[in-house]
Amino acid sequence: MRKRKDDSVNRRDFLKAAAAGTAAAAALAANPVAARAASPAMPHGNATAPTLAKPPLADAASHVDVVTVDRPGSDFMVDALKTLNFEYLCANPGNSFRSLHESLINYGGNKNPEFITCCHEESAVAMGHGYAKIEGKPLLVCVHGTVGLQHASMGIYDAFCDRVPVYIILGNFENAAMRFGQVDWTHSAQDPAAMIRDFVKWDDQPVSLQSFAESAVRAYKIATTPPMMPVALVAGHELQENQVPDGAPLSIPKLTMASPPAGDSGAVAEVARLLVAAENPVLVTDRVARTPAGLAGMIELAELLQAPVVDRNGRMNFPTRHPLNQTERAGAVIDTADVIAGLELTDFWSTVNSVHGQVYPVTHPATKPGAKLISITANDLYLKSNYQDFQRYQPVDLALAADAEATLPSLIEAVKRQITDDRKNTFEDRGKKLATAHQQALDRNREAATPGWNASPISTARMSAELWAQIKDEDWSLVSNCQFVSRWPLRLWDFNKHYHYIGTEGGFGVGYGLPASVGAALGNRKHGRLTVSIQNDGDAMFAPGVLWTAAHSRIPLLIIMHNNRAYHQELMQIQIMADRHNRGITRASIGNVLVDPPIDYAKLAQSMGVHGEGPVTDPSDLAPAIKRAIAVVKGGSPALVDVVTQPR
Amino acid sequence: MRNFWRVSVHIAVLLTLTGACVCAQAQTDAEKSASASTAKVESGKRAFSSAGCAACHGVRGQGTNLAPQIAPPPVELPALISYVRQPTGTMPAVSAATASDQQLSDIYAFLKSEAPASQGGEAATGNAANGKKLFLAYGCYQCHGYVGQGASTGPRIGPPPLSLAFLISYVRHPTGQMPPYTEKVVPDQDLTDIFAYLRTMPQPARASSIPLLNQ
Repeated sequence: MRKRKDDSVNRRDFLKAAAAGTAAAAALAANPVAARAASPAMPHGNATAPTLAKPPLADAASHVDVVTVDRPGSDFMVDALKTLNFEYLCANPGNSFRSLHESLINYGGNKNPEFITCCHEESAVAMGHGYAKIEGKPLLVCVHGTVGLQHASMGIYDAFCDRVPVYIILGNFENAAMRFGQVDWTHSAQDPAAMIRDFVKWDDQPVSLQSFAESAVRAYKIATTPPMMPVALVAGHELQENQVPDGAPLSIPKLTMASPPAGDSGAVAEVARLLVAAENPVLVTDRVARTPAGLAGMIELAELLQAPVVDRNGRMNFPTRHPLNQTERAGAVIDTADVIAGLELTDFWSTVNSVHGQVYPVTHPATKPGAKLISITANDLYLKSNYQDFQRYQPVDLALAADAEATLPSLIEAVKRQITDDRKNTFEDRGKKLATAHQQALDRNREAATPGWNASPISTARMSAELWAQIKDEDWSLVSNCQFVSRWPLRLWDFNKHYHYIGTEGGFGVGYGLPASVGAALGNRKHGRLTVSIQNDGDAMFAPGVLWTAAHSRIPLLIIMHNNRAYHQELMQIQIMADRHNRGITRASIGNVLVDPPIDYAKLAQSMGVHGEGPVTDPSDLAPAIKRAIAVVKGGSPALVDVVTQPR
Repeated sequence: MRNFWRVSVHIAVLLTLTGACVCAQAQTDAEKSASASTAKVESGKRAFSSAGCAACHGVRGQGTNLAPQIAPPPVELPALISYVRQPTGTMPAVSAATASDQQLSDIYAFLKSEAPASQGGEAATGNAANGKKLFLAYGCYQCHGYVGQGASTGPRIGPPPLSLAFLISYVRHPTGQMPPYTEKVVPDQDLTDIFAYLRTMPQPARASSIPLLNQ
């Protein structure tokens, strides 16, 4: 039970009174609130830990719980966190960080960061994941003890695999003597960050406010230095709630961001030499463009060389309609390449090797003999052991342990220095051929979109084309993974801005899509962008409560449900297993489909205050439904269109 | 007069013999030609495999989820050679070191020899309505879409670009990511019905006729 300050005993008065003797103690005991002694342990707010003259239980004063503090440690934590300029805090509330919560909303004024109420910790982290890919910086996520962290862990793993910074503060009742009961015990851990240590870049459990401030700044710097990853800071319950000691020499260190690691000049010059001399160089990108500068740099490099770009789409690295974008003919250009430069390439091995086979993977090189391989990635600077997201090891001829975006400016200059007029002519010829091939690939994709054009369920090609028609003249941002709709948006739309696409889950953990989209929309909100998400139904059902968060926090987001009514990837997998086991293939839907009853996502959305349309089953109804939804989104609120779709 | 007949008989015999010789010679050339053609097809078949064409296009050029059907060849030989050397799609370029022009010519002959039989009448043996049910029950739609339109998970098969015989052959012995389905799991008659169903699919419109695909 807590009590307002004006009804309670001031802590300093209490200490004075305690020192004065039994008269004061008797007076305190007469106060029905103060006398409600809860614990024989150290009194709340007593950061200076006075020495008791008698055993606690024998001293009446020791039963008096000091219920107010003038300046809790969590206020100082807020001071420290405010220096890091977080825009938002995403959290599901929990009493292990209750003091920090209160300090943030009252002492901190609920601004920078502003509290965004989340209905699940995984949603909170995924929102931070999506937000960071739009804004290029982390938001704050608070997580409650053991239970909240376990909920959050999948989101943290996705962000880790995707090399995205999320800043996590984890509440914990570290002092067992200060736990009030069963729940506090079950929600506490000796080393709470242990469960996520394999997939965060750094964690700490500071035991003093000064070390909290230093660790807070250090954590931010670590998280945002490539390779970026989540970090976790444990905020002990006592450290939050106890009084800041009078005159404590606390200070908050200045944050100085580390410049991202760029390739050394000699290695960069060698990369440039290889690329300029190559007859068929290929630039393969994955998570290059952390910022708009990354996109601009990739365009400049590719155009200088007139080299094809194959984009693995981990970020918005290269415009989809650029004539040098050869993503749709990746196999062809990689097969003929004599130099392949992988830029922040997550899986270099699979880029230059093919895998076939039904039961056992059969591999063979996808490159011609003698092709030179170059890798530029910050992943060479930092790896974890346990989780295997680092992919198969690929030998290369030249490896730069460096951030590709940060290396691009010097690489561009080095290429400029080495290009001769003769090479320019060669490059121009190459560029013309690539432009023709690009257009032919686009034409093929358009033709491939036509089968099943008027079918119901609606084809994902039709859905993508209908959506494109409604948003192409807006300042749009697609914030969902395209792989589950046969990549139609990437094959048909004109992506050319940094925020037009933000890649995938990273760890491919289901449940990322909806909250990450809401987080990305939160980042886009102040820029006035029309945020769009093509949302998988199975993913949405993991934690649909984030729809409420979007409505509550007035986060404008257009959600187009890709409602194929199944966990479709698994449906295919079980059919394959049933076939392999030679037991018939008609029962694969058991455990894999979301029918009987079909889920009405429009009503689900409406129940949480989100505009809902659908289910749309006739393709001719799509455009009007999307238009109505966009009108709502432009008004500042989220809207959902439930589209019953083909599987992929 | 007698001499005339004698001469005529001689001439006739001569002509007959000459004709016989000519015919014999013609037969020999045909046989040689057929033999050469067979050898060319066999050579093409071997080259089709050794050059790695079958890995994506299937052992008989019937197409897989990795690459389209190319038997019968959709283009003339020069165009095929030109495309193979400088493809514009996802196919990797094939250098002369991997397959010479002569080998490509042999491959072309092989692909022509593997041309599917006329599809006319094949659907008549299948029950399209039952095929539709089977297409859903067996989960064919999972990778190929409800109307066989294709997706990132499997190529377009509606309407089927290959013959029933090819379909059955491929389902039993696929070369791509699709698993093989045995007669026990999917009987031939069921595949025949599915084939009939897929043949009911209309040919898609050209993209140029759809405004939404020209944005």
